[in-house]
Amino acid sequence: MELNCLGMRCPLPIIKLAAALKTHPEITLLSDDPATLPDLIAWSRMTKNQYSVLGVNKYLVKRL
Amino acid sequence: MSTAGTVLRVGSITSQFQRETPLHPAARAFIADAFDRGWADPSKIHGESRQAAILLNEAKEIFAGQLGIRSSQIEFLSDPAIGFHLGTSGLLGAESRFFYSAIDRSEIFAIADLHQSEKLPVGLDGSLIYPQGQPSDLLAWQTMNGETGIVAAAPNEFTGRLFVDATASGADVALPKNWSTALWNSRAWEGPSGLAVFAVAHRAIWRNPLPHIDGLISSSDLSIPLVMASALALEAHTRDYEEKRHILSICNNRIRDFLQAEIGDVDIAGRSDNTAPYLLSFSMLYLDAERLVNELERHGISVDSGSACSSANMEPSHVLAAMGLLTHGNVRLTLHNQTSLEEVEVFLKTLKTIVEELRK
Repeated sequence: MELNCLGMRCPLPIIKLAAALKTHPEITLLSDDPATLPDLIAWSRMTKNQYSVLGVNKYLVKRL
Repeated sequence: MSTAGTVLRVGSITSQFQRETPLHPAARAFIADAFDRGWADPSKIHGESRQAAILLNEAKEIFAGQLGIRSSQIEFLSDPAIGFHLGTSGLLGAESRFFYSAIDRSEIFAIADLHQSEKLPVGLDGSLIYPQGQPSDLLAWQTMNGETGIVAAAPNEFTGRLFVDATASGADVALPKNWSTALWNSRAWEGPSGLAVFAVAHRAIWRNPLPHIDGLISSSDLSIPLVMASALALEAHTRDYEEKRHILSICNNRIRDFLQAEIGDVDIAGRSDNTAPYLLSFSMLYLDAERLVNELERHGISVDSGSACSSANMEPSHVLAAMGLLTHGNVRLTLHNQTSLEEVEVFLKTLKTIVEELRK
């Protein structure tokens, strides 16, 4: 499932990501907020989920 | 605790946890009198000029004693920012490699960009590995990180030149034995702003990077009243801190425990055994820091934040990001010498209520 958060300001992309993960185990996140990558790194450690960078402003997030 | 005429906001603040503090009362009393009398140029030899020179030397002695350096090593700067340039560029040669950490101040980043440099990564807990280096190399080293309170281990094995950024720690962290240049900010000890103390260990290896004709470094328009006021503030602040340090540790640990137990989903910077008791930075998952800070202010509590959404330039804290800590939902607390455990309890209770409301 693709989650488009382009133009959204932190922490909205992460909040939407967490909500979407409840129903979809794999999400492709589009987000251009500068805090997105640092926060994905911290968020995946804190919630024990997995992320990877697919491209510019594009991330794959998996619920573990 | 607001001083008359300096706080412009709707509603009153009853609990102040922001970094900025008013001038220490010991300094304020002195300064009002000193400015009334008007101070003369200490480089002249007659009358009030001699008084000013004596006062300047007295102030230098106080700083030397408190900071663990010699009077002759001290220079005063009217702009702390210039101290970063003096302290680093003055030690760099053509062959020098400039080492600095990912959580250093942006002034250091700007200088490093102009030289052959290497940024040292910082671990999640603030740990840092120093290179051994060579005698011509330079390491910019922070005694304490001003955002998180993390106190770094001294780089005692480094064989090159050492610039010590003590701007956040004041007199609380001792200089490592191998220091070459050092910088302190008067604000760190509740002193007046517009003043920094800069020290050079050995003039032989330091070269003034600013255009100069004589050997002087100190700003030529130095305000002697400001320097003396800062010295008085330093003495008083150090006394107060010695008395209150234990209580501040208790408050800090209480906050840390409460955050883990009652708030949850929170990243706290550093551990209580490697951070100063009076600073605490923590980030809460899924919270908008701007809304959080505003809500706290509505309840009479003022705090700082390192989150992008709370700063004018919309960038997340490079310190938190470098350490791999969460940057959104960040609150930065400064526990002042007068902070009480009761005040902290009120803050925690209020924080929990706000967080529960915002996380719904």
